Amino acid sequence: MLELLGSGVFTILQWKFFLPLFLGTLAGVIGGAVPGVTITMTIIVILPFTYGLEPLAGLAAMTGVYVGGSAGGLITACLLGIPGTPSAIATTFDGFPMARNGEPGRALWLGVWASFFGGLLGGAFLILVTAPLAAIALEFGPWEYFSLFVLAMAMVAGLAEASLVKGLMATAIGLLITVIGTDPIGNALRFNFGSEFLSAGFPFLPVLIGIFAFAQIMADVEKVRDPQQTEGVAAVGQPTLRISHLAIIWEILSRPVLLLWSTIVGIVIGVLPAIGGSAANMMAYDQAKKFSPRPEKFGTGVPEGIIASESSNNANVGGSLVTIMAFGIPGDAVTAVMLGAMTIHGIQSGPLFVSQNAEIAYGIYAAYILAHPLMVLIIGLSTIFILKVTAVRLAVLAPVVLVLCVIGAYALNNTMGSVYVLLLFGVFGYVLVKAGFPLAPLILGLILGDQIELNLIRAIMTDANPWLFLTRPISGGLLLAAALSVVFAIWQHLRHQQRISEADADF
Amino acid sequence: MKKLFSCLGAVLLSAGLAATASAQFPDRPVKMIVPWAAGGDTDNIFRPLAPLLQKQLGQPVVIANVGGASGTVGAREAKNSAADGYTIYAVHDYIHLVHYAGLTDISYKDFEPICLVSATPSVLTASPKTPWKDWAGFVADAKKRPGEITVGATLGSTSHIFPASVEKAAGIKLKYVSYDGLAPRMNAILGGHIDLTDSNLTQKGKVEAGQLKFLAIASEKRDPDMPNVPTLKELGLNIVYEVVRGLMVPKGTPAAARAKLADACAKATAEAEFADSMKKQGTRVSFLNEKDYAAFLDKIDGENKAIMADLGLMKK
Repeated sequence: MLELLGSGVFTILQWKFFLPLFLGTLAGVIGGAVPGVTITMTIIVILPFTYGLEPLAGLAAMTGVYVGGSAGGLITACLLGIPGTPSAIATTFDGFPMARNGEPGRALWLGVWASFFGGLLGGAFLILVTAPLAAIALEFGPWEYFSLFVLAMAMVAGLAEASLVKGLMATAIGLLITVIGTDPIGNALRFNFGSEFLSAGFPFLPVLIGIFAFAQIMADVEKVRDPQQTEGVAAVGQPTLRISHLAIIWEILSRPVLLLWSTIVGIVIGVLPAIGGSAANMMAYDQAKKFSPRPEKFGTGVPEGIIASESSNNANVGGSLVTIMAFGIPGDAVTAVMLGAMTIHGIQSGPLFVSQNAEIAYGIYAAYILAHPLMVLIIGLSTIFILKVTAVRLAVLAPVVLVLCVIGAYALNNTMGSVYVLLLFGVFGYVLVKAGFPLAPLILGLILGDQIELNLIRAIMTDANPWLFLTRPISGGLLLAAALSVVFAIWQHLRHQQRISEADADF
Repeated sequence: MKKLFSCLGAVLLSAGLAATASAQFPDRPVKMIVPWAAGGDTDNIFRPLAPLLQKQLGQPVVIANVGGASGTVGAREAKNSAADGYTIYAVHDYIHLVHYAGLTDISYKDFEPICLVSATPSVLTASPKTPWKDWAGFVADAKKRPGEITVGATLGSTSHIFPASVEKAAGIKLKYVSYDGLAPRMNAILGGHIDLTDSNLTQKGKVEAGQLKFLAIASEKRDPDMPNVPTLKELGLNIVYEVVRGLMVPKGTPAAARAKLADACAKATAEAEFADSMKKQGTRVSFLNEKDYAAFLDKIDGENKAIMADLGLMKK
């Protein structure tokens, strides 16, 4: 395995792979840092550029975006108090206070090095666990896949910040969208309204681009005249970012339990399908606060908060990569795009991926590992410039992103139909955003809809006994976990509401 | 300013060239519609062909994977494309089957044949978790447990028709579970979630590693690379089942464009490089020209109709 990894590293160090990796990481850091541009959006923008590359070069670029983006969010989170991506929300809680207390350099670099170590620990997990997990994935029959998807949907709906009901509704909408088109078993046409294009169902990537990139950019366009955008820079002033890196690294490594635990939280959330970095950083932050001897200090600029949030969101990337490589199931919207890119290049991900495409698999591992020092380097050299990029007016940025979205959708299979789908779902997603629906559960429903239906029917076709879902040990365990997560979500929402009413009582 | 003029000049020049060249097919990229997802076995066969065609045509050949609804969406898009030679349609036997199964009104008669490209013999493949050592063991077990042995198949397509033909000829009863495409079938059979499936010689490596068992091959003669696998003919079943793939264009495409495409196809499929990549796909190059391919299509259409009627899968 070390030999394979070594040769993977040497492969990636060739210019034709290293350059895409570098550019991808750079794009990721910038995309991550610019508020309003998410990692998903960045990877969608990168997608059309990878069509013409070798598969591994394209995947290296995307891995770079993923790693760079997960770290890039911390720049604006720490220095401007605006999370560059949802996966850096918890970083603002302590990063920005620390910066305002006169230590912007310490806040920034605590985040960067925590991302670095968290990411590398996630990488070790990725390399060690993917192959054994792929062997377990083979044991997953239709029953287990069905139950796994049920668990994923239960968890995501429960994590939706708005409300459990809206989360569940969004999941249901996602599932309903996948009902349109030919049913995956009997080829019966459903809801195609006589349209030949719709009889294949809505193509996944254009829908994803529409909902995630288009709709969100539209929401940001509303804020174009909002003066708040530039206010943040003034808040910190011209930051002095000079610090002792050794001291910072020591500050992180002297808290091994915190680092390790946050990393584990990040990895586990990454492995679970479709939950993603935005949940990882919040959860790790929450855990760090709970276990801390001084929880009351959290939110005032303590290093623990930054370390927990940033190490978990980069470890999360490693976990997500495990899921696409071992199971062939996308862990979140970003990996869904990566999976789509693999299919375009004719690579089938799944339990046989690592053994059949060892070169590409180890190339991805190597790209993932090398992306981390690149990320540190890029942030180190370019923070000041990146802060200037974040000041680029949205009026300039938004049209560029929108055009790239359209190109990406069209180039998927050179059909105008995909562009119309993009527009339709751009508008639809915008309406949902306005109505306060969380988009992550919707995308999950969309990703898993066909699979959940297929596996349910396959299970019944193989053996008509419905109790197998409960009596097969892995399947039963997953369903139990799903039930528990719903109960937990209800309990948490109740507690949350109680807190709000208590807070009201204080007034 | 000078730069601007030279740019303009270049644009005018190329426009002029395009105008004079339009008499010469092709003067712009050719789109090849593959009606299945990228990375599937059909895609794996046409993807290596595209650059070789491109070399012959002198224009890019761009693959568009238009999957869905058992390949009928791609068929529809191909049929509705302009009949100018700039859209070619990569097809296999499914075009006959989906028509007779009533999934679509499109048939091979909506297209003009260009060339037959390849033939891939089907191999009846068993999971390592099955107790059978060979064909005889399988048949004995199937007779003991009718309707219990599961077969993973793309329902209504070749991977369904082939085991169904075997089922009928051997006088056994099997149970079908829907797994679209070879890759999901492989995952399921390696995990033992299905007992049997139709595959092809691309899975040779897994058989040698003891992860799969080939029970019988549906070719005329044993394959020189897998001499231990008996043919169905030897086993007393008169079944030869090969998935054949070729290129077609929409009906009404000018003869000159067709001739040019057919010529390019003949030269591209004759290249050693193509034979090599086909070998990796467990496939042999099987070229037929326009005329022979047309006759061949009529012949296999009749055969497929008979099989579908025989198996009771024909839409009434």
